[in-house]
Amino acid sequence: MATTVEAPPPPTRAKPRPSPRRTENWRRRGAITLFTAPFFVLFAGVIVAPLGYALYLSLFSEKSSGLGFGGKETVFVGLSNYLDTLADRAFTDGFLVVAGYCLIYIPLMIGGALALALLLDSGLARLSKFFQLALFMPHVVPGVIAGLIWLYLYTPGISPIIDLLGDVDFLGASNVLGSVVNIALWEWIGYNMIIYFAALQAIPREVIEAATIDGAGALRTAISVKLPLIRAAVITTVLFTIIGSLQLFTEPMVLDNPSDGVVSTWTPNMYAYTEAFAKNDYGQAAASSLILAGLAAALSFFVTRWGNRTR
Amino acid sequence: MGRTLAVAAALAGMSLLAACGGESAAPAAAPAGQPATVTFWGWAKGTQQVVDAFNKSHKDIQIKFEEIPSGNAGGYAKFANAVKAGNAPDVMSIEYPQLPDFVNQGALQDITAEIGDVKSKYPANVFSLVELGGKAWSLPMDAAPQVFFYRKDLFEANKIDVPKTWDDFRAAAEKVKKADDKARIATFFPDDPSVLTALSWQAGAKWFGTEGDAWKVSINDEATKKVADYWQGLVKDDLVKVQASFSQEWNAAFEDNSLWGYVGANWGAGVMKGNHAGQAGKWAIAPAPNWGTPASGMLGGTTFGVSANSKNTKASVEVIKWLTGSEEAWTSRLSSGTSSGFPAIPDLVPVAQKSFDASFYGGQDIYALFTEAYGSIQPGWTWGPSMVQVLTAFKDSLGKVSTGGTTIPEVLESVQQATVAEIKGRGLNVAA
Repeated sequence: MATTVEAPPPPTRAKPRPSPRRTENWRRRGAITLFTAPFFVLFAGVIVAPLGYALYLSLFSEKSSGLGFGGKETVFVGLSNYLDTLADRAFTDGFLVVAGYCLIYIPLMIGGALALALLLDSGLARLSKFFQLALFMPHVVPGVIAGLIWLYLYTPGISPIIDLLGDVDFLGASNVLGSVVNIALWEWIGYNMIIYFAALQAIPREVIEAATIDGAGALRTAISVKLPLIRAAVITTVLFTIIGSLQLFTEPMVLDNPSDGVVSTWTPNMYAYTEAFAKNDYGQAAASSLILAGLAAALSFFVTRWGNRTR
Repeated sequence: MGRTLAVAAALAGMSLLAACGGESAAPAAAPAGQPATVTFWGWAKGTQQVVDAFNKSHKDIQIKFEEIPSGNAGGYAKFANAVKAGNAPDVMSIEYPQLPDFVNQGALQDITAEIGDVKSKYPANVFSLVELGGKAWSLPMDAAPQVFFYRKDLFEANKIDVPKTWDDFRAAAEKVKKADDKARIATFFPDDPSVLTALSWQAGAKWFGTEGDAWKVSINDEATKKVADYWQGLVKDDLVKVQASFSQEWNAAFEDNSLWGYVGANWGAGVMKGNHAGQAGKWAIAPAPNWGTPASGMLGGTTFGVSANSKNTKASVEVIKWLTGSEEAWTSRLSSGTSSGFPAIPDLVPVAQKSFDASFYGGQDIYALFTEAYGSIQPGWTWGPSMVQVLTAFKDSLGKVSTGGTTIPEVLESVQQATVAEIKGRGLNVAA
């Protein structure tokens, strides 16, 4: 956007009336300001300001003394909230959970969405419009509702699935990660599929035709021609998926009470929530959130860098 | 893509702003001549009916009631956040265990001077729970003596005696399992440690105490260990179900007759009646089993405090006094049919008794039973300064009990350590 802004004209001495060129410039600049202002106002209001406030909070701690009934005071503690957070096993273990989650989730998600998109694009699938809609539908359901729906299906005694499959403990400590992955797949696979499908549709048909004339079968075309051409879309979705996984919160939060496997600090985001609302330690909550945000920023930087290089 | 994202972000931002732009709960003093509006957050059953009754009978004060999720289900987080943001309601519901936590945070006003006239209506051992550091911070609405709910029809059909002691309870649990392989006598709730807390209180435990200006923490005391070992045995021998409290799973087990009892408290009477209307007449209530002499702990119980943000202290205290101590409030709360609250003020018990329809329990005089249990509540219990954290720590580790990952006695040790560390971390003193 910034590249379209023309350099302002060199300062000239005041004239009684602005030249027509200058008026036009002003008008254009006015339009640009008008159209971008809402974005920057919101960006400042809902991103920059909260970040700044979190940064401020993360440097302070609230201390009381004696029995604590005499109120509390806010003390500047420098970076000790960050150090405490990093030294806390509960926080670092959260990253292990997220890593495990990513290991299962990302290949399944990207592979599944790609396979579905290629199937729809190949023209083999009948009712392609219907399937696009049907697969996208779960994405419209908010995460909390999705969690509640699946919780119902995971709960012994009321779940028709468990009645069918026999005694599967979806909420037990060893299975709950898979159960969370399953909810996320259900929610997101259709969304990513639509992105891939749109990218596939944008591939010039001549390229596909050329491949066909050269004797490539449908599978060969998909792997050697279509996939490389939609790499940009795949990288974008991988990026979003990783960042989304780091912020894993809603689904495990819904499963927290009924599941033996999910604890209050299961993911880094849940850790921040627990620090703030179970322990009333807003300083540490802010510090852990910022560490998480920094990590997400670094990750997205490297993923995009890597994506650009392999292009 | 970049532009789409920007637009999406802008749209998302706008909807966020719109959501925040709603009417703020920040209490403001009423202009002269207008009725004062007192905002009130709560979740107790029947509260809407109580508020309606108040608003109908009062011209100078109107309550604006907002139903929030129950405390541990997110209500306390919401309140703590609102206090921090400066837009907390005037009046907040706080259960006894969490009161010291909120006083520590500076979330409540000292109302000692305003409530001097009603203090004497309360039994001393209940009022002491809301009087911390020599100041009163809230007014108790109800007390929550422990009781045992059981399927009278099934117990009688299988000739199982209603257990009086915990030894009897185990024997009865074995008989229930023998009578019906799928059925169990009760549930251990790994997600709700407040039951374990009340059971320990009943057994004579004292998790917290003060020594001068230092806290004493003994979550792993002998009485608690006894209770932990006992329940560990029941879980290990598969004599009780292990289910989340108030879960769909738990309710479904009542419905298909595979759960014959519930170790709970008086307020459960309204809950059971509301959730299992089809089983009317089949249930009865007995005193909670004991360790030899009748005793009870307290399982929950609500108090009302005035938030630090409130500018309406006078009107708010008046509201609180009415909510906790007026006959009209109790009549409308219990006539709603969903609440079986037990007034903390003993003089009001006859009102409650009259208002609750006990036909679900075959007309049993359940309030007489509650009164008896109330009288047996063990004195000397103090709640610690970080109960939200204590309960979370319990919840996190109790989940692994059913899979054998840990045992209840082990959990006591880890929670004890976590709690001492947490209290010290806040800068408070802990006695060795």
